[in-house]
Amino acid sequence: MSAAAPLAVREAGGETSEAEATRRERRARWCADYRPRPGVPDEMIGPDGAIRPAWDRFLDRLADLAEDEVSARFAAAARHIHNSGMAYRVYGEAAERDWPLGVLPLLIEGAEWAEIAAGVAQRASLMETVLADLYGEAHLVAAGLIPAAAVAASPEFLRPLHGVRQPGGGRQLHLYAADLSRGPDGRWRVLADRTQAPSGTGYALENRMVLARALPEVHGALAVRPLAPFFQAFRDGLAAAAERAEPRIALLTSGPYGDTYVEQAVLARYLGFALVEGDDLTVQDGRLFIRTVAGLKRADVLWRRVDGDFVDPLSLNPASRLGVPGLVEALQAGACVMGNMPGAGLVEGGWLASCLPALAEHLFGEPLRLPGLPTWWCGDPAQRDAVLARADTLTLRPASAPAQGAFTTRAFGLRDPEETGRLFAILRDRPGDLVAQEPVQLSTAPAWDGPGLVPRPFVLRVFAAATPGGWAVMPGGFCRVSEQPDVQPVAMGTGVRAADVWVLADAPADPAAAPMPRLEQAPVRRVSGLLPSRAADNLFWLGRYLERAEAMVRLTICLLSGAGAVPLSEADEGTARRLRGLLHAWGAVPTVVGPAAALAAHALSGREAWGSARTHVLAARRNAASLRERLSVEMWRSLSALLDVLDRPGGTGSEAQWLDRAERALGLGAALSGLAQENMNRAGGWPFVDIGRRIERAINTCRFAGLFAAEAATADDLGLLLQLADSRISYGARYLLGVALSPVRDMVLLDPYNPRSVAFQVERLAEHFAGLPALRQDGLPEPQTRLVRSLTGEIAGTEAAALTPDVAAAWEERLWAIAEAVETRYFPGGSEAARPERLVALA
Amino acid sequence: MIYLLRHVTAYAYRNPVTQARCLLRLTPAEGDGQRVLSHRIGVDPLPHRRESGRDFFGNATLALTVETPHRAFRIEALSRVEVERMQLPDLASGLSWEEVRERALAVPSLGPDAPVHFTSPSRRVPVVAEVTDYARASFPPGGGAYAGAVDLMRRIRADFAFDATATEVATPLADAFAHRRGVCQDFAHIMIAGLRGLGLPAAYVSGYLRTRPPPGMARLEGADASHAWVSVWCGDGWHGLDPTNAIGVEDDHVVVARGRDYADVAPVAGIIAGSGAQTLQVAVDVVPEDEEAAAAG
Repeated sequence: MSAAAPLAVREAGGETSEAEATRRERRARWCADYRPRPGVPDEMIGPDGAIRPAWDRFLDRLADLAEDEVSARFAAAARHIHNSGMAYRVYGEAAERDWPLGVLPLLIEGAEWAEIAAGVAQRASLMETVLADLYGEAHLVAAGLIPAAAVAASPEFLRPLHGVRQPGGGRQLHLYAADLSRGPDGRWRVLADRTQAPSGTGYALENRMVLARALPEVHGALAVRPLAPFFQAFRDGLAAAAERAEPRIALLTSGPYGDTYVEQAVLARYLGFALVEGDDLTVQDGRLFIRTVAGLKRADVLWRRVDGDFVDPLSLNPASRLGVPGLVEALQAGACVMGNMPGAGLVEGGWLASCLPALAEHLFGEPLRLPGLPTWWCGDPAQRDAVLARADTLTLRPASAPAQGAFTTRAFGLRDPEETGRLFAILRDRPGDLVAQEPVQLSTAPAWDGPGLVPRPFVLRVFAAATPGGWAVMPGGFCRVSEQPDVQPVAMGTGVRAADVWVLADAPADPAAAPMPRLEQAPVRRVSGLLPSRAADNLFWLGRYLERAEAMVRLTICLLSGAGAVPLSEADEGTARRLRGLLHAWGAVPTVVGPAAALAAHALSGREAWGSARTHVLAARRNAASLRERLSVEMWRSLSALLDVLDRPGGTGSEAQWLDRAERALGLGAALSGLAQENMNRAGGWPFVDIGRRIERAINTCRFAGLFAAEAATADDLGLLLQLADSRISYGARYLLGVALSPVRDMVLLDPYNPRSVAFQVERLAEHFAGLPALRQDGLPEPQTRLVRSLTGEIAGTEAAALTPDVAAAWEERLWAIAEAVETRYFPGGSEAARPERLVALA
Repeated sequence: MIYLLRHVTAYAYRNPVTQARCLLRLTPAEGDGQRVLSHRIGVDPLPHRRESGRDFFGNATLALTVETPHRAFRIEALSRVEVERMQLPDLASGLSWEEVRERALAVPSLGPDAPVHFTSPSRRVPVVAEVTDYARASFPPGGGAYAGAVDLMRRIRADFAFDATATEVATPLADAFAHRRGVCQDFAHIMIAGLRGLGLPAAYVSGYLRTRPPPGMARLEGADASHAWVSVWCGDGWHGLDPTNAIGVEDDHVVVARGRDYADVAPVAGIIAGSGAQTLQVAVDVVPEDEEAAAAG
């Protein structure tokens, strides 16, 4: 928070008329240009033209803050968002974007909210009942309340799930969401139902954390209902469906390239769920397990954020790379609980809206508490006739598709002739494919537009979680607000901002009684020790790539600055040749000749080179991207900073410039390994980062020693080796005479006290292996342990004088074998890297 | 007619496969003029788990999990099936195709035979405007649905070339349509796409043809492998039509499984854990029992 401006203080015993006047003046200025569109309901201005009470209170409190203070708060919030890595991805884009949080919350009074919550809970119950019926006996179809053709045509009617009942009551939905807006009459209505795998709960949580921190006085004074109890209820609801008392719950993610991966990582961390990809799971003997470094661990409950059709490539979509072969079989056997059931997306289809009012009456004996959009399913002859009669006022859209992104405003009879002709042809041949709706005009809510408030279209998403005691509705939600007055905020992307949603408790809180901002209290839960093998694999390679990048940076520094004060090119041709040869062999430079600056440019920042430092850091970041729930914000940021340094356009920089870049990269790399050492939860997999680093460093050091500590090594060779092994200072402190072969070999390879020596790395590896879970019951060491112990013993028994480059090369071989043993033991599929493949299908 | 059926599927892998999970649909269907007198599926290596079941459409399934590392995987299905179907319907009979499509939309059932499952695009059969327009020529206003389907079948047979090299299992329908060549799977998918484009229910059927024709008759295409054809719903029930041979389905065809398209009825679907190349060999024999006896005698 900015310390630049003092907080405006409300005096307890009344306020000065001057302060009051300033406040009024500010408010008036902010609202001066606020004009809702005629006929469009607005959140701030009620139907009577007066400001609604909640907004009145909010603006009063906000106006306690001076303008520059308000901007400072919002700037701090934006920085917080950027630094915390809160981001989203626009579909099809590689890069993530910072989360665009609007500065104004959406305010909803308690009484009004009660209506919304009751309506959302009713709809959730309806959806649950309809799904259970359609995946079961289909009485509602036989009774003529739901058209069979609409159900059967939906790609989300997943037939393998027909007749499958989950344990714990056969529940279909654990999380339901509805997208709301006000209709022209000012009543809330539902634009779309979300039953597939609703996103947004995590964003709602983050929005609240940011906004409550940015505006603590306002948030505290308005008695905003907290979100935490909802998440507790959601978690309890998932757990209650499991067979075991302390169930293991996993969040099945669509992976780091999904558009809401960051949200999924936030939720997994907040709720204490294991974040897993399909490859982390396996079905064996009809049960679902997570592959972890400690062997297979049973998963009781799976909360999926993968679309239902993609959860099992064997029984469902064969093209899926996100699922688990055999998962449907496990569901059929009742061996695990899934929220939501695959196939639950069926009721997102627009056709359902045409049946919902009658279903509510038939099933519950009551009307819909929240109406949907008036909808006609064209597969029914009578409805089709009604639609054809109103071709110039209705819009058409696919009957099975969810409403997302499909609020068109142009009636189908008024489009260009070709488009109209196409739609009429579908109406004739395949009328069941279409539904008709009245064009949607979204209602508006205030958005902050620099100097003041402006009305903007918005969509409010409200969530309901299934609990044993009924539906728990989140008092709040995820709101998308358009930045343009006439654009519909259908998806997060350019021109759309998120807004926090404040549901106000009935009784306004006394500001004196709640002086502190009531931040969301996260439930205390220790991170489980469960480390999926895939996460361990990524951590291991994160360590290896970072170390590889560091080695490349060190080599580049040597290339540029030489073994000491004297540039290599002038002193010793042999050393320089060997160094350039290594850079070439490691794929960092395309040629061994040329000016050092040009080679350094390749080795540090080369885009084509597979061995450049940049390529390795990029690979490290790919690994880190899959580990978002395990890495601290600082680590993620440092990694990005390191990539930024290497990525900066360099052109034809001088040697000094490249040296500067290399040294900065080295510093950032050191900061990163410090952060990993200091900040990473030990149960969260830090050992694997370190194992990766140690193995890589030992391998590289063996290679360096083989090249630069041969029998004929020159003083330059040895100096360079000390430089590469970052051991120049230790050496100088221990040996007052210049560099000599045996002492250098000893220091770089054998010295167990030198943290850069091979001996030191191998000892750390032995310690790590001893501390990791063992799978064998017979007490015999696992292969990686056996290999590392034998290497440690050999190194300890070796004398520097007897060391030859052959020995170093043999050790390098054995280190590779250790790396392979680590992969086989701890990572999915072992070193054969067996990703599931399809059998070639038959003709 | 009683047939002896033998369907062998053999995979060979360059690298060992540690785990295989398969879903087989190799058991001939019961009913609708067919009786399965005996049936057996042998698997090598022996599976760790073996579960029989039925899918949504009532097809018999066998789910296998093999956890023995292996380089070869062999599935052999042996069946003895009696086939005696009713006569083909009269071309002039039945409802008009417009009536059929209205009825299909209105049938209030999600049962496995309900026409609603077979009127919409499915994984392997999209609705393609060009294919729909091609099919439309067989359905003049007021024309009979069955007569139209038979005409469409004959046109496909006439306009398309049987060419086992033109397509693969994964070739999209639109490609096969554009090139006017393919195998039974392609012809069945194209015919289904055309019918569905007009709103008419059409199912994909997998099965077998007798390997050797009766004396004096030409050998039919698709007899040396598993075969596929189309079943159309004409308001009064389902009727089999084989666009590869332009014939109605009578006693030369043995039905194994029925679904919306190939993806619903693949004889062997599976996922293996392993890497490296794999090769596949399939052999099918369908021989009338009396011929077999004669040959043996």
